[in-house]
Amino acid sequence: MDPNTPQWTNGPVLSGRGLVKRYGAQYALAGIDIDIQAGDAVAIVGPSGSGKTSLLHVLAGILRTDEGQIFLAGQRIDHLGEKKRSELRRTEFGFVFQSGMLVAELSAEENVALPSLLAGLGRKEAIEAGRGWLSRLGLAGKERRRPGELSGGEAQRVAIARALTHRPKVIFADEPTGALDTRTGRDTMDALLGAANETGAAVIVVTHDRELAESMPKTVAIRDGLIATRLAA
Amino acid sequence: MNSLQIALRVLRVDRRTRTSAILTAIGVAVATGLVLLLATLPFATQHREQRALWQGDNYYSRNSDGPVKLLFSSSKDYFDGKQITRVDVALTGGATAASIQLPPGVPQLPGPGETIVSPALGRLLQANSAAQLGDRFGKPVGALGEDGLRFPEQLVAVIGHTPDAMPETSSEVSGFPKGEARPDSLLMLLSWVGIIVLLVPSLVLVASSARLTAARRERRLAAIRLAGATPGQVTNMVAAETTLSAGIGAVLGLLISPALHGLASFVPWAGGTWLAADFALPVGLTVFIAVAIPVLVVLAGVLGLRRVLKNPLFATGGHTKKPLRWWRLLALPAAGLFFLVAVTTAKETGGIGMVMAGLFLLVGSAAVVGPWVTSAVGGTFVRIWRRPSALLAGRRLRDDPKGAYRASAGIVLAVFAGSMALTLLPTFESMAGGGRSFQDSVLYVDTDPQHAGKVADQANAALQQYGQHEKAVAVGQVYLVQGEGRERTGHQALVMTCADAVKLTRFGLTAAQCEGGPGIYSDSSLDLASYKIAGHYDEPGMAPVSGTRVETVRYPDADLSGSLVIDPAAVPAGVTPWRVTVVAPTTAANREIVRTALAAPAAGEEIGSRDQYLFNQQTELGDLRRVTVIGLIAAGILAGCSAAVATAGSVMDRRRTFGALMAAGTPVRVLSRALRMEAALPALVATIGAGIVGVLVGVGLFSMVDQGGIVLSPWILAPVVLGVGVALLGASVCTPALKRVQAEPLADE
Repeated sequence: MDPNTPQWTNGPVLSGRGLVKRYGAQYALAGIDIDIQAGDAVAIVGPSGSGKTSLLHVLAGILRTDEGQIFLAGQRIDHLGEKKRSELRRTEFGFVFQSGMLVAELSAEENVALPSLLAGLGRKEAIEAGRGWLSRLGLAGKERRRPGELSGGEAQRVAIARALTHRPKVIFADEPTGALDTRTGRDTMDALLGAANETGAAVIVVTHDRELAESMPKTVAIRDGLIATRLAA
Repeated sequence: MNSLQIALRVLRVDRRTRTSAILTAIGVAVATGLVLLLATLPFATQHREQRALWQGDNYYSRNSDGPVKLLFSSSKDYFDGKQITRVDVALTGGATAASIQLPPGVPQLPGPGETIVSPALGRLLQANSAAQLGDRFGKPVGALGEDGLRFPEQLVAVIGHTPDAMPETSSEVSGFPKGEARPDSLLMLLSWVGIIVLLVPSLVLVASSARLTAARRERRLAAIRLAGATPGQVTNMVAAETTLSAGIGAVLGLLISPALHGLASFVPWAGGTWLAADFALPVGLTVFIAVAIPVLVVLAGVLGLRRVLKNPLFATGGHTKKPLRWWRLLALPAAGLFFLVAVTTAKETGGIGMVMAGLFLLVGSAAVVGPWVTSAVGGTFVRIWRRPSALLAGRRLRDDPKGAYRASAGIVLAVFAGSMALTLLPTFESMAGGGRSFQDSVLYVDTDPQHAGKVADQANAALQQYGQHEKAVAVGQVYLVQGEGRERTGHQALVMTCADAVKLTRFGLTAAQCEGGPGIYSDSSLDLASYKIAGHYDEPGMAPVSGTRVETVRYPDADLSGSLVIDPAAVPAGVTPWRVTVVAPTTAANREIVRTALAAPAAGEEIGSRDQYLFNQQTELGDLRRVTVIGLIAAGILAGCSAAVATAGSVMDRRRTFGALMAAGTPVRVLSRALRMEAALPALVATIGAGIVGVLVGVGLFSMVDQGGIVLSPWILAPVVLGVGVALLGASVCTPALKRVQAEPLADE
């Protein structure tokens, strides 16, 4: 067995080893090692172009690494094909993007039910599960509303519900509060971290927001594609 | 920085805007080229007929336009299935060739015994013996130019005579006609139908191209508005951007137009192709089309800005769309009613303008009804979905039915046109057949009882001269009638010996049936005592010669039913046939020689045969099939391109959502399936509707020309199946488009 392979018994739920990502001659990631433990909440911070979004996308399997390895619960995943990686993202990961990135035509409950439906759950069960999550995130009564009929904070909470509904191991959040005011952003993050805590999911948040980063238990600062500092609260 | 500079800068830096601009330019180029071609069709038919104005006798004035200088006769002749237009001319006493103004393409007036032929006929004359062809005309002394021919390969002979050698049917005229020709009415009708059913898909293609990155542009313009741009400045920017691409497209359309016209000139109609110059449009109309199409695109672009102009913030955020009203459904029955009234009225007035307007309204009503149907289909799927793709497709159809219908609009019209054509064509084909009672290979020429003997004698003398054993015989036509006045009923009967009838007709008589003396041969038993024989239908009849028997014959063809054969010995003296036909049997080897032998005594009357009659029918049907197939292929390609462009636009508009869904693990195939369903579901419902309406319109149009029933073949379903297939094919571009989205960084917007 590769001595670098983390053991899942008590090890990190998600690990990256020597991650390199290049865009032409430009290095977005220049050899990053990172471990995320189950239930961790980690903020990845750094200036624009530092590579934090690339790191998130590489860890989530949205982008392929040029070098390095990624392990999910001890299993190597970076070499998987697009189909398998899509399946992993659908079943093991949850995503919260800036502005929600909800499907504009679907209602809130349908947006939340979508990952379960894609996983093969029946219509009734998926919608009921979606309603349950919306209710837990304070959106009871707004299940039938479209994203355009919700406030920014409400739309982000729908996105959080969608990310959690299939009980993922890791939730990736890319600037989840970027389009929200400070108070709504704080409420949204509380909702995200609280819900993740309930399910035991690790949360990785990419953010520019210094205040948000400081409120997270762990912070990783990225600069020029390398980890500059690791801070634990 | 002015509006044009901003537009150019956006085009330079933004790849997707550039792609959209290129596709818009291509869409405008295709639409401009096609509209320029369609618009030329009525002119092309007019040009063709104008060149041939002098060949027919319809345009010669027989009134006192001036002193009579010319005797003129026009008739049809045939060689090897090809039609020859024969023009016989003679100067009247005192008139000189110099006093006759010749039509374009006719180099000189042939003198007696001379002939001027078209180049194609000249080649045939050189390749065949005089007995087969040359003896029908005089000595060739010149060639007709292309500007005197209906089409380049037309066979025409202008034959000079002395006045006394002219056919008796010739007219006294003051000269060749100079008026305006009336073009082929069927082609004119098809041209207008083509314009109506292809113009709309062309415009749909342009609209789809222009809407390709509408959502992205709306966001960009909203940002510019928020940055302080006035509505006028934003409008100018869009106008500049769309004028640039649409203008380039229109110029490209103008440039490809001659190539399209060149291609169209190879499509045969009524026995010949076209001159490229036939497709010339008046400059004013060309400029109008080349300007109108880009102006429509610019207007569509500017009108699409309403939301940004009204409220830039509104455009950047979400909103609730108003549901479509049920009254949209009324557009179809209203247009249908108008069409029905127009068809009914046209039967009395003969005008097709209102019918075409009705057709245009029906085509237009699809744009009103289609989005409602799309919304209804979406609503149904929103209620019954079981799979995520059905939910995504249903919601999209419900949320933006106008946008979703845009992908199917061209297909709906192509299916409508296809169903209409496939209703009419099999019906026309079922009407083919019929013709005279003579066998297919028999040549016949109609004459009157006074000249019949002379025509037959001269033809037989010529046949003998050419060494042929065939004999021409004169066959009279009389009536076997019952009752008098308004109560009269009767059958047409050919007066010929039973032996000749066995040899020359297709009644199916056998030599055995000829035994037993003079008889009347019929497909039904007749009570001869109640019948009389009359030369004309209205003349008093006379009883058949005593002892005449009735022989019942089983006719092989249903179209012969009711026609009879009467032995000359059974016709009482004093009955003069109203018409006499001189008929001569032929073989494949000597048909043209026999025709040549009949030509001189026929004196300008057309020498026909059932073979030729059926051949002409098939030529007409072939023409119809060809233009239908070309029209439907053009409509199908336009519709498929529109569907593909609309689907690509739909992906581009929602790329951030799709990108996020794929990032979250949604397989491309699920989104592809949803997009294909988006395209196929409304297309299926709308094409079934369009198919039904197409059949009904076909029935309506057919009722204008014939009261018989229509023939529906299983092929009637083909347009609907092909329509859905084209919709799916067009929508299949969604997979590469989605893969493109997947390959791009998520935050790149």
